Amino acid sequence: MAANVKLLKYSIHKYSSYSANYVPENILVDNSSDQSSRWSSDTNNPPQFLTLKLERPAIIEAITFGKYEKTHVCNLKKFKVYGGLNDEHMIELVDSGLKNDHVAETFYLKHKIDSNYFPCRYIKIAPIQSWGNSFNFSVWYVALHGTDDPHVVKPCMNWYSTYREREAIRLCLKHFRQHHYTEAYDSLQKKTKVSLEHPVLTELHDHLVLHGDFDSCERLIAQSCEEGLFDNYISQQDYKPKWTAIEPVSKDSTSAMRPGMRGGHQMCIDIHTENIYLYGGWDGNTDLADLWSYHVPTGEWTCIAKNTDEDGGPSARSCHKMCLDHERKRFFILGRYLDPSTRTPDNLKSDFYMYDTESAKWTLITEDTGAMGGPQLIFDHQMVMDVEKQQLFVFGGRVLTCSPEGQRSSADPTFSGLYSYHVPTNTWKKLRDDCPEIRSRIGHSMLFHIRQRALYIFAGQRSKEYLNDFLIYHVDTDEVEVVPTDGSNKEYPQVPAAGFTQRATIDPDLNEIHVLSGLSKDKEKRDNVKNSFWVYNINKNTWSCIYKNENTGEHYWNKMQHLEPVPRFAHQLVYDYIKKVHYLFGGNPGKDSLPKMRLDDFWSLKLCRPSMEHLLRRCRHLVRRHHFEEIAAHSPVAALHYLQADLAETVDHSDPEETKEFQLLASTLFKDRSQELDAFIDPDVNEHFVGRTQLFDTLVNFFPDGMSQPKNNLIDLVTLN
Amino acid sequence: MPRSRKGLALHPTFKNKQVLRLDCRYCGNCVCTRGMRAILLADVGVELYSTDLPPTESVDHVAVMYNTEKCHCTIKDIACLKCGNIVGYSVISPCKLCLQSCNNGHFYMFHSWAVDVSDRFNTLGGLLTQYLLHYLLALNTCKCVAYID
Repeated sequence: MAANVKLLKYSIHKYSSYSANYVPENILVDNSSDQSSRWSSDTNNPPQFLTLKLERPAIIEAITFGKYEKTHVCNLKKFKVYGGLNDEHMIELVDSGLKNDHVAETFYLKHKIDSNYFPCRYIKIAPIQSWGNSFNFSVWYVALHGTDDPHVVKPCMNWYSTYREREAIRLCLKHFRQHHYTEAYDSLQKKTKVSLEHPVLTELHDHLVLHGDFDSCERLIAQSCEEGLFDNYISQQDYKPKWTAIEPVSKDSTSAMRPGMRGGHQMCIDIHTENIYLYGGWDGNTDLADLWSYHVPTGEWTCIAKNTDEDGGPSARSCHKMCLDHERKRFFILGRYLDPSTRTPDNLKSDFYMYDTESAKWTLITEDTGAMGGPQLIFDHQMVMDVEKQQLFVFGGRVLTCSPEGQRSSADPTFSGLYSYHVPTNTWKKLRDDCPEIRSRIGHSMLFHIRQRALYIFAGQRSKEYLNDFLIYHVDTDEVEVVPTDGSNKEYPQVPAAGFTQRATIDPDLNEIHVLSGLSKDKEKRDNVKNSFWVYNINKNTWSCIYKNENTGEHYWNKMQHLEPVPRFAHQLVYDYIKKVHYLFGGNPGKDSLPKMRLDDFWSLKLCRPSMEHLLRRCRHLVRRHHFEEIAAHSPVAALHYLQADLAETVDHSDPEETKEFQLLASTLFKDRSQELDAFIDPDVNEHFVGRTQLFDTLVNFFPDGMSQPKNNLIDLVTLN
Repeated sequence: MPRSRKGLALHPTFKNKQVLRLDCRYCGNCVCTRGMRAILLADVGVELYSTDLPPTESVDHVAVMYNTEKCHCTIKDIACLKCGNIVGYSVISPCKLCLQSCNNGHFYMFHSWAVDVSDRFNTLGGLLTQYLLHYLLALNTCKCVAYID
């Protein structure tokens, strides 16, 4: 599909209003230097819109908004784009916003349903909010990208019309069954051969709704659960973070072996042996040169070296980077921060060390990577390891410079580009200078996806600017890909806010990036967001914030100190993607009263989703609760027994909400039922038909969408005129 | 309604200034009906138009406050509500230098390059001029605007 993408021709079909000479047709022309080359609405009262008509139906993949050369209050801070084959029935394709700057922005539009492309003839742009609240909406230029090649679009049109027809039939089938129009249901199904749902669900419907055989229902659900039919539902549930403070296990009670307080240290994990290595950092007064390892299964810290400098290793340092080759059991250390007062031309060399964990030997690979075609001495950079091809990638960081005594360097800070280092041949290669394509930075995140063989780069800071772009560098093809972000301004909280000292990890199996957002280094920005945890789904290109703790105040965090890590920066986070556990150590809590304070706490973090057992119990509970209600309608005494024995079994009594709900159920036994009988009862239909149908609709939600009846209802499509 | 016959104390220099109508040059929207030709205190080479009452119906503030290079006044740009283009600025807090100079007390300014100007004619009373003058407006305004004598 991508090969056929081109600019699509369109015309203006409809519009809500325009003012002065800012006619809708102006958006066909991209002239960023002319303030009048735009559509501008005559009012900012919704609904305002522009409907574009394409020459012929097309698969529209993206929309580009051009802008004026300067900021403008009429730029769209929030907008939605809809599309469809006619201008009456459109679906939402994107919900986003533009930045108030001069840079054109491109947004990917939804163009697939169940991995099938769907065609559009009309595109509606609906402004929601402009950057200046009282101002009208303006759109300067719109380009639509996609394909209208009939060879491509025709099959999609066919698929789309078949899809719509089939969905219409399924909606009818659902409606007929829900209302017990059995003959209509049977004849429609016979004639069209369209099935409403997977046979398993039809079986469930028979057991539950038609026969009220609750035991068979439970058996069927348990079997479905075992067969993994609920996996999809579970994978869509949000993670819940579970922090656990790791207390050191001491060999002898006299001195608990553990690393001391620090920030700006480095950590890496050997996912095969479950060893975590920790090196260096700043304890508040001085740089450190101690090397530690933590063995997860035994819970023991080992001090490998008190001072690596004495063993032929690196000198004490902080703000360096370390990464591990878990196949060959060795790690690499590059970069450091030096206070401007201690810098001399001699010590501004970028030394580069390797440590072999098996032989416990340090190797000084070079005294200065800068002299080998690698990076100059840098700090706050990122370094990752491609274990398969034995290469390192180093990106960003600020180059340390030495300015003569008493003279402040007037030059702008220099940022380091993207480099690779091939271990077997000991060669550095500069892949990119600091350039607009990949803007260099400090304090960013960079992760290597071992299966996609790509670097994921995001966030970071460049002088006073906080970056919120998202880049992918494909290491084998040397290509940079820009991931479109949803207009990541403050109005769109689904993206982690820029400017916070995020720590990120990647899970190549789940295709997820995890981001722990900490305290801002910038004191003025500290009152906004505190601890928050984000998950980026690589396949879906979506961010979700699974947890946020905005509590501030010493008292609160003192109380919480054994339950959850206090917000911080200059900490370290590593991830074991096999065991799915994160480990966090140390950092700077940013206390104004104690600027030298650093932390030495050590935490594990697990991201949990509801388990299969939990879900199965929930389903059983729903079935039994309904069964209880049916019994209660006839025999309150039998219902009471059922409540105490069978239903109580399925309640999680440790959950206060569930317990309360359960306790309230008993009161329904004494409800006056005379009023309920007023409802119309079809003599052909079981009196419990409606209640059972409702329960069935609830249970169906746990099954994959592709298996179950349509989510919508036919009657909801009826409009009142 | 009782009205002070003395009017507001407008500096004599400005009493006989013509009242002007200002239209946004970009979209034709009338942005001000009480304009006055003025020169910038900090740079007499710059011609602009000022007005006494905040024209909230036609313009609004945009973006952030800033200081000019020429004096220490804190100002904020104003843009035409119809087209959003910047047509002038308003003084958020005037600097000492400007307050001490002979000023017309106006806080809303329009750039001469952003507005089209037309005369307003006197419909208020049989006076010697056919043009509307600012002291006539002052006599007929209840709203108090801080003029410096």
